[in-house]
Amino acid sequence: MRLVIGGCAQGKREYVLSKYRLPKTAVRDAALHLSQAAGDGPGPVVIDHFHLWVKGCMERGESPRELFLEFLKEHEDCIVISDEVGNGIVPLDPGGREYREGVGRLLTELAARAEEVERVICGIGQKLK
Amino acid sequence: MMILVTGGSGSGKSAYAEELAVSLTTAGGQRYYLATMQPFGEEGRRRIERHKKLREGKGFLTIEQPTAIHQALGQMEQEGGTALLECLSNLAANEMFGAGEPKSQQQVTDTIVQGVELLRAHTEHLVVVGNNVFEDGVEYDAATMAYIRAMGRIQQRLAAMADRVVEVVVGIPLSVKP
Repeated sequence: MRLVIGGCAQGKREYVLSKYRLPKTAVRDAALHLSQAAGDGPGPVVIDHFHLWVKGCMERGESPRELFLEFLKEHEDCIVISDEVGNGIVPLDPGGREYREGVGRLLTELAARAEEVERVICGIGQKLK
Repeated sequence: MMILVTGGSGSGKSAYAEELAVSLTTAGGQRYYLATMQPFGEEGRRRIERHKKLREGKGFLTIEQPTAIHQALGQMEQEGGTALLECLSNLAANEMFGAGEPKSQQQVTDTIVQGVELLRAHTEHLVVVGNNVFEDGVEYDAATMAYIRAMGRIQQRLAAMADRVVEVVVGIPLSVKP
């Protein structure tokens, strides 16, 4: 698994597609549902908007961690793209705080497992691991 | 040696800062944890419990110091040792919005920078945990903007003072000031 993080609108998806020479059809928008993220072609599946998927899970009362670890068993070579959402003022509402912390902790865990971690800033990839 | 560790919520900066404080401590040196968080409500208590669990078995002596951080020195048993200050965002919020009238950006900045200067002078190693509260692109009310600017000034001044500055991103330390 490879992890690509960065702020919103930094060109993360384009960076991944161009770096790994993947077609747009490799991208599964995780904002919808992870089950729709099953690949339909050769090469790795790209999971985009991972942070929104985590948010959706939390809202449904599901554990994003457990679901994703399960998903990883069958998609070891996937590429996960996620916004960084923890770099701001701590929100007043508890749900907002839980979301930011939850995304951060899960990304930290995935980063520890990932074979490569990159951060994309202004469309440029910065290798973190 | 003084090290400033920054990062966002859930970035793993606390775990990294604790490891750092443990590895810096010289043999026989005491290890202090300067806690700034005030336990507001159930969530606050859970947060504090989580941090306590992280520190368990690492030999930290905890000093609760939600404001006036230099006063922690009065509770340290000996000169020297390693202190871990966690974190600037709580400390700044407590200083600014704590008891009485809100304090100005300048007052809060000076109080905290001077407090950290004193801590640095009386410890062998000092690890300060900051917080990246700067990148959500939201224009907040005047009080919150003053808070963000105070945090920015404080971190700039502490970074200038520090021997090293590290940003933690998804648990990975990146050197900002080597």
